[in-house]
Amino acid sequence: MAEQAVNIDELTKSVDTLKDALEAQRYICSDQIATAVYLAYHLNKPVLIEGPPGVGKTELAKTTAEMFALPLIRLQCYEGLDEAKAIYEWKYGKQLLYTQVLKETLDEVLQGAMGFAESVHRLHEFGDIFFSEEFLEPRPLLKALREEDGCVLLIDEVDKSDHEFESLLLEMLSDFQVSIPEIGTVKAVRTPPMVFLTSNNTREISDALKRRCLHLYIPFPDVDLEQRIIHARVPEIPPELRRQLVSFIQELRELDLKKVPAISETIDWARTLLLLHSESLDPQLVRDTLNVILKFQEDIENVDAEITTLTSKVLK
Amino acid sequence: MERTLANFIRALRNSEVRVSTAETLDAFNAVELVGYRDRRALKQALALVLPKTADEKEAFEVCFDQFFSFSDVSAERAANDDGLDDEGGEHAGGEGEGGGGGDAENQANAQRTPGQGKKKKNKQKSPTADLSSDDDEEDLGQGEMTDPTSELGQLLMGNSKVELSMAMAAAGEAANLRDIEVFTQKGLYTRKIMEEMGLGGLNREISDLRKSTPIPERRLGQELKRRRDWLREQIRDYVEKQFLLHADASGKRLREELLRKVKLSNVEHRSFRLIQEIVFRMAKKLASMHSRRKKVFKKGQINIPRTLRHNMAYDGAIFDLRWKSVKVDRPKVFAICDVSGSVANYARFMLMFLYSLEEVMPKVRSFAFSSDLAEVTELFERNDIESAISKTLRDYSGGSTDYGQAFQDFRKLCLDDVDQRTTIIILGDARNNYGDPRTDILKEMYDRCKRLIFLNPEPRNSWGAGDSEMRKYTAYTHQVEECNSLMHLERIVGNLLNTVR
Repeated sequence: MAEQAVNIDELTKSVDTLKDALEAQRYICSDQIATAVYLAYHLNKPVLIEGPPGVGKTELAKTTAEMFALPLIRLQCYEGLDEAKAIYEWKYGKQLLYTQVLKETLDEVLQGAMGFAESVHRLHEFGDIFFSEEFLEPRPLLKALREEDGCVLLIDEVDKSDHEFESLLLEMLSDFQVSIPEIGTVKAVRTPPMVFLTSNNTREISDALKRRCLHLYIPFPDVDLEQRIIHARVPEIPPELRRQLVSFIQELRELDLKKVPAISETIDWARTLLLLHSESLDPQLVRDTLNVILKFQEDIENVDAEITTLTSKVLK
Repeated sequence: MERTLANFIRALRNSEVRVSTAETLDAFNAVELVGYRDRRALKQALALVLPKTADEKEAFEVCFDQFFSFSDVSAERAANDDGLDDEGGEHAGGEGEGGGGGDAENQANAQRTPGQGKKKKNKQKSPTADLSSDDDEEDLGQGEMTDPTSELGQLLMGNSKVELSMAMAAAGEAANLRDIEVFTQKGLYTRKIMEEMGLGGLNREISDLRKSTPIPERRLGQELKRRRDWLREQIRDYVEKQFLLHADASGKRLREELLRKVKLSNVEHRSFRLIQEIVFRMAKKLASMHSRRKKVFKKGQINIPRTLRHNMAYDGAIFDLRWKSVKVDRPKVFAICDVSGSVANYARFMLMFLYSLEEVMPKVRSFAFSSDLAEVTELFERNDIESAISKTLRDYSGGSTDYGQAFQDFRKLCLDDVDQRTTIIILGDARNNYGDPRTDILKEMYDRCKRLIFLNPEPRNSWGAGDSEMRKYTAYTHQVEECNSLMHLERIVGNLLNTVR
C-alpha cells in the first residue's frame, strides 16, 4: 500500500509528470487538462469538465482512475435522478422483517415492566437500529465517501439531471460529506474522492455548483494533438494515412454540420480504415466509410458533394 | 504578489467575469501551487479556477494577456533602454504591478528609442498632442545641451523614475482619476494630469527653446519635446490602467440602468447587443425563480420504496400511497405581435424575452402580423433568436396594420389549440387604420383562453384617440398594460410566470 502512495506522490509532482503519466495510459492531453488534474489532486477540488461530445471527458476520469490505481465509481445522471439512487436508500424489505422480529420479541423485552411509562423507557433502552447503518444501502456518492483509500468519482452528464439534484451535490462537492437525516453526517473516511463531473452543456449548470468546481473546457484538439491521440490509440495505422485522416476530420469540423465528428469518431474511423487495409484516402473510400464519422443522414448528404474536393485537399 | 492577484481579479470582475470570494481563495491556493514563475502555467491554472463559462474564458484570456503582459515589456525595456524608461514598471507601483493596456505599452515601447534621437510619433495614439509636427524636426545630432528651466522639464531631464512616477501619482490623485467612469473621459484625465504636472510651463519652455538660435538650446528643446510626448504616453497608459481597474464596469452599469428605463423604440441600433445581454440576464433571473415549481401527481406509477418506507409506521400495512411522477407545470404562451413599423422594436424585445425563457416556458408559439398573420414559431426553432427576429421583421412588417384580418387569420390558424391553460399575449398599438376591429374574434379568444393580455407600447392617455381601438379591445382582455421599456417587460413577464400556473 505504501508503495502505491509513493507512486501517486511521484506522479503528481508537477504538471509535466502528470501529463507523461496520462500519456503512458494512452490518454494524450493538452497542458490545460494535465493542469486540471494536477490542481484537482492538490487542492482537493472537483473538476467540472465541459466540451462537445466525444472529446474524452468521461475518458479523462477513467484514465485518472487507472493511473492512480484507484477504483472508479460512476454515477450516470438522468432526468428524475434523486437521492435514493444517488446517495442512499433504506433496505426497506429488511426493515419490514425487522419490525416483524421486533414484534415477536416485544413480550420478552417488556416482561415485568410496570405500567406504560416503564415500557416506553425499556423500549428506548432496547436500542434503535431501525434507522442505522445496517439497513442502509449505499449508492454511488455514499460509496465513494466510504472508500478507504480514496477513489475517483465520475458524475457523468450532470446537465441531464434536474436542478434539485445539483443542489443535492453541493454538500458533497464542497465538504465531501453527505447528510442522512436519520443518522447524521457521513464524511469521507480518509482520503476524499477525486470528483469529475461532465457536462454536455444541454443546459446551464448553476453558479453554485460551478463555484465549487474547477472548470475545464475541452475543445476539439488541433491537428498535432489529434495525430498524437490517433497514434496512441491506433498505433498500427501508417503515419501518412494518419496525417490524411486527421486533416480530413479537421476540414469536416469547419463545415456547417449538425454533429461534427469528435475524437472518438476519428479513432473509430482510423480503426475502420485499418481494418480495410487502406493505404491512403480516396473519394470512394471516404464515401463508403462516411457513416463512421457522420451520424446524421443530412450531414452525410451534405458532405457527399464535397468529398472529392476535401480529399484532394488533404492528399496534397 | 498577492496584491497583484487581487488586482487581477478586480480587473476580471470589471470585464464581466463573476468571481466569488471562494474562488478568489481558490485562485490564491492554485497560485501557491504553480507559482508566478511560469506564465503559461499560471494562466492555465487560473483559467481553471476563475472563469466558469465559455464567455468568461474568453474574457479571461483577454484580461490575462493585458494584465500580465506588462512585466514582460518592462523587463525587455530595462534591457535595451535608458533608465528613464523603466518608469512603466514603477509608476503603477502604488497599485501593485498590475494594470491593463498591455497593447498600448507595447506600441509605446516600439515608438520610443531614447538616446537615438529619431522617433516617429503616432498621431492617433496621442490626439491631445498639440505641438506634434514631424516636419520641422531637424537633425541636430548628439551633443551637449543646456539645462531646462521649468520644473517639469527638470524632472524629465533628471532621469529619476521614482520622482517622476511619484509626481504622476500625485497628479493623478489631484485630478481625481479614481472617479473616471466612461472611456471617453480618458483623454480628459490624461490632459488634466499633464496640466497638473506643469505642462503649460514645459510647453512654453519648449517653444522658447526651439525658437532660439544656439544649437545646445535647440537640442534641449527637441529632447524635451520628445520626452514630453513620451510622458504623455506614460500617462495615457496609467490612465488606461486605472480605467480598467476602476471604471469600466461602473460605466457599463450606468448605461444598463439607463437602457432599462428608456423607451424601447428610442433605443439606438448600437445598443442592441447590450440590451440583448440585459434581456438574457433578466430572463435567466426569472427562469431560475420559476423553474423549481413542481406538482406531485395524484395518479400514475406508485413509488414502491417511498410508499413502503412511509407506511412502515403503520406496521407495514400499505394504505398511504406515494406516487412516482412529478409534474412540472409549465405555461403555454401564444404571443401575437404587431410587427408593423411603429411597434416592430417592441415586438423584437418581447420575442427576445419570451424565447430567452425557453427553460421555463418551452411552449411559446409566436405569431407575427401587420396585415396578414402567420406563425413564426418554426423560424425561432430553426434559427438563433437574433436572426429569427430580423427575418420575422423583414418578412412580415410590410403592409398597413389590420387587426381584423390578423384576428381572422388567427382564428383560422389555431384558435382550436387555445385551451384553458393558454395565455395569449397581444403586443400592438391597436391602431387599426379605421378598419373593422373584429372584437367578436377577440371575445372568442378571450372566452377560450386562461388569460389574455394586451400590451400597448403607447402611453395610456393616447389609447382610444384617433384610429386606436384600444377602448374596444380592453373589454375583452384580462389585463391591459402599457409596455415600452425593459422594466415594464420584466414586470409583465414575471407576473405572467406567477399567474399563469
